[in-house]
Amino acid sequence: MKKYFKTGLAAIAVAAVFASTAFSAEKVKVGVLHSLSGTMAISETSLRDVLLFTFDEINAAGGVMGKMIEPVVVDGASDWPLFAEKAEQLLVKDKVAATFGCWTSVSRKSVLPVYEKHNGLLFYPVQYEGEEMSPNIFYTAEAVGQQAIPAVDFLLNEGMKKFYLIGTDYVYPQTTNLVLFEYLLSKGVSVEDIGGGLRKDNAGKVISAGNYTPFGHSDFQQIVADIKKFSASGDACVINTINGDANVPFFKEFAASGITSEDCPVVSFSLSEDEFRSLPAKDLVGHLGCWTYFMSIDTLANKKFITNFNSWLAKTKVPGIIKKDRVTCSPMVLSYNGVYLWKAAVEKAKSFEPEKVMKALESGISFDGPGGKVTTQKNHHLTKTVYIGETLETGQFAIVETMKDVFGEPFLKGTFKK
Amino acid sequence: MLSKTLGAYILRILLSSLLTLGTSLGDEKEARRLLVEIVLREGAERAAALEALGDEGDPVIASMVEAWRGGQILRYRTDNATIILFKDGEAFSTLLTGEAVVPATGPKIDRPSRKLRKTLKRIVDLIDLSSPDFDKRIEAALKLGLSQNPQYLPDLKARAKRQEDSNTQRAFDEAVAISELANGSIENRLAAIRTLGSMKSFRARDYIERCISTDGDTKPTDEMVTAAKRAFAEIDSHQKMVDFIGTLFRGLSLGSVLLLVSYGLAITFGQMGVINMAHGEFIAIGGYTTYIVQNKFASAFGEGSSVYGYYFITAIPLAFMVSAIVGAIMEKGLIQFLYKRPLESLLATWGISMVLQQVFRLYFGAANVSVSSPQWLAGSLQVGDVSMSYSRVALIVCVAFVVIGTYLLLSKTSWGLHVRATMQNRQMASSLGVPSGRVNMITFAFGSGLAGLAGAFLSQIGNVGPSMGQTYIVDSFMVVVVGGVGNLLGATLSSLGIGMVDQGLQPILGPVMGKISVLFMIILFLQIKPGGLFPARSRSLDD
Repeated sequence: MKKYFKTGLAAIAVAAVFASTAFSAEKVKVGVLHSLSGTMAISETSLRDVLLFTFDEINAAGGVMGKMIEPVVVDGASDWPLFAEKAEQLLVKDKVAATFGCWTSVSRKSVLPVYEKHNGLLFYPVQYEGEEMSPNIFYTAEAVGQQAIPAVDFLLNEGMKKFYLIGTDYVYPQTTNLVLFEYLLSKGVSVEDIGGGLRKDNAGKVISAGNYTPFGHSDFQQIVADIKKFSASGDACVINTINGDANVPFFKEFAASGITSEDCPVVSFSLSEDEFRSLPAKDLVGHLGCWTYFMSIDTLANKKFITNFNSWLAKTKVPGIIKKDRVTCSPMVLSYNGVYLWKAAVEKAKSFEPEKVMKALESGISFDGPGGKVTTQKNHHLTKTVYIGETLETGQFAIVETMKDVFGEPFLKGTFKK
Repeated sequence: MLSKTLGAYILRILLSSLLTLGTSLGDEKEARRLLVEIVLREGAERAAALEALGDEGDPVIASMVEAWRGGQILRYRTDNATIILFKDGEAFSTLLTGEAVVPATGPKIDRPSRKLRKTLKRIVDLIDLSSPDFDKRIEAALKLGLSQNPQYLPDLKARAKRQEDSNTQRAFDEAVAISELANGSIENRLAAIRTLGSMKSFRARDYIERCISTDGDTKPTDEMVTAAKRAFAEIDSHQKMVDFIGTLFRGLSLGSVLLLVSYGLAITFGQMGVINMAHGEFIAIGGYTTYIVQNKFASAFGEGSSVYGYYFITAIPLAFMVSAIVGAIMEKGLIQFLYKRPLESLLATWGISMVLQQVFRLYFGAANVSVSSPQWLAGSLQVGDVSMSYSRVALIVCVAFVVIGTYLLLSKTSWGLHVRATMQNRQMASSLGVPSGRVNMITFAFGSGLAGLAGAFLSQIGNVGPSMGQTYIVDSFMVVVVGGVGNLLGATLSSLGIGMVDQGLQPILGPVMGKISVLFMIILFLQIKPGGLFPARSRSLDD
């Protein structure tokens, strides 16, 4: 696989050289840092694909300040320390102008010191827990305030009174649920109406809210029985931050228990169109998702994006790339937006220097992406449109709510007061 | 008024575009007409039409509204009108008359908004109050009761007096009482609290709490508070009982999963002494076989057809056979040379397991595949307040068959005698005329086949993917070792025991700590009894 991959890289590089020499000899190196093997490969490979597509699209339109983008693709292999090594390689050896990469929070935390040490520039595209703002990272990702909070607002609006929190046991669900716990309390939901259990430290401060399972958990009988009990009195919903394939046994158990999406809807933050390719969509019909992009958005920009991506897929010679039945999802679009924002910032700063580019990004740059207009903020996050969608049997979402221009705020813990 | 005239206009257009008109006239006709009208309307205009639908009590509304929600209602444009179609499987009929049609171009799915669906659900609930289907009637009564809307209370009360079935009677009483908690007088509320307490209604707990809370509009009396306390005690003790029985069932079900995945290993590893690291991949073969059968059925009969639901029945024996054949090939091609070298069989089977995983990735892709449960396995069985999902019940029944069948095979048949002889002493059996080579192959194939069977059942409750086997291999070895290598009864008891302990600990400690505690207890247990529950002398462990 690796060998293939290297030849693939060589092929891309050669192709890039040929393509660029035709117009101009000048190139700018850009890093792509994703897991192309290991457990995260299923999700992250799609981001590599969309990044390569974006580079080709920009190069075909004349590049960035006249320079052709030359991607340097490295494989983080779902191995977090390896991410840091690869980041070091990108910054020191390849001297990339910017990097687009990382999916899991742990991989981002692993490369963060490397980017700060070498003063690099990283664009991070996947919804995350917040509580972080590195001077060297730009977060095109959804912050908690752009996914979990709007979803809860929507559910409160629907008349929900009880909220059951459930997630996989690691930093993103734990932090998100703590923020949500505070938010729900501030909205007047009582502690008894927040399900899943609480853990307090010795001083009585809540340190964990919700029910957590290990990665790859396969037996959700007790949890679903607990949810059934919790939702018996009606007006209850589940906030789901389970990550990865543990969602399959969860939703199968949930559907089998006879609870319907009308009695007790589940809103999931880690399930996008891409994940639905391996989920039994039938068991998820009517449940909710919340992202800043859905493939079903009915705009010209989105249709153009999907068509261009698919025609690029049909033509591309990247080895091992999946060409059929591809979907687009929020992390992919946020990667795409990231590249265009970087391009705009470079053009504004008239320099590839990460520091100057970051200054330009902080000054507020807008881009009309497939998910609507996004604007960069001083705090390295994006103002963007949040959508709430309902799952259909096709694995797509029907958009039920649109919230325009939601500000991206990473530091939410402790900000909600009763 | 406008809606009526517009409706009539649309009706006329539709009548002219459709050649014939159904012969049955009456309520259903009017109900269908109203439904078409609602589908054709937008926004606020729909509300007016909905009002009219509420007065119409025809059962066809319930089924059509359900279809609307499920994406079975489609719009189809002809030259002069928009026709609303109802799609059942591959067949189309018009919503207006129920007449079968074949649309020329692709009709578009029409989907009601969440808000509209909520309103529709209310209307359906009102209709379902008199449904001949008791389950529907119960659900509708409870829904309307839980809404605590005073508007429904008189209707519920009146109906509660004339229920002929004890279950529906109970549901109506419960619904009335819950509604009275918010709408009744002080005396009525007190009586409702008492009724709900004696009914041990879980649903009512939150509502009683709200009823006696002091920030409501009506101040609760002391009597109400005492009654509520008694009701809580009754409900909570009943809840504990239900939790206990539920946990027993869930323990049995998890135990059955463990038993099913490890029983094949109890034969190949326990009986034959082959440390089979590829056991998990045989489970995955079973899962993928089910997936293939499902897809074949879907493409041959269509997903909506009634035959499709039987794909799972077909998949069970096929999963067994495919895994058994792969197992037989593996035994003949590799394992048979390694009976004297158990540690090398570990390495070799591990290698095979990796090869098989890559083969899955190559053919089915790295992502998991989705296997959907057939309709008849969906849903759950209600015993009192304990619910047991059909897929789990089916699994438990299957496991019982497997255990009894294997026992009978090994103890009552001559093949079983040969197996036991070969397992005890391969050379001795061989010199006494037992075809040990063939017995080995068949036994290994049988064990692998059981793993495939497990895969078929696991596809109904979990993931099917290339690394599916890895999830279960550790559990399988754990069960076999705790049970005592070489003892099938031991494997049965240990899997049920581990399942029960796991489910018992989970509500107290949570899934993460629960799992850790179970593993820790197993370590402790093996310190005290290294041979497992039933220590047996096994060839592979002797030397």
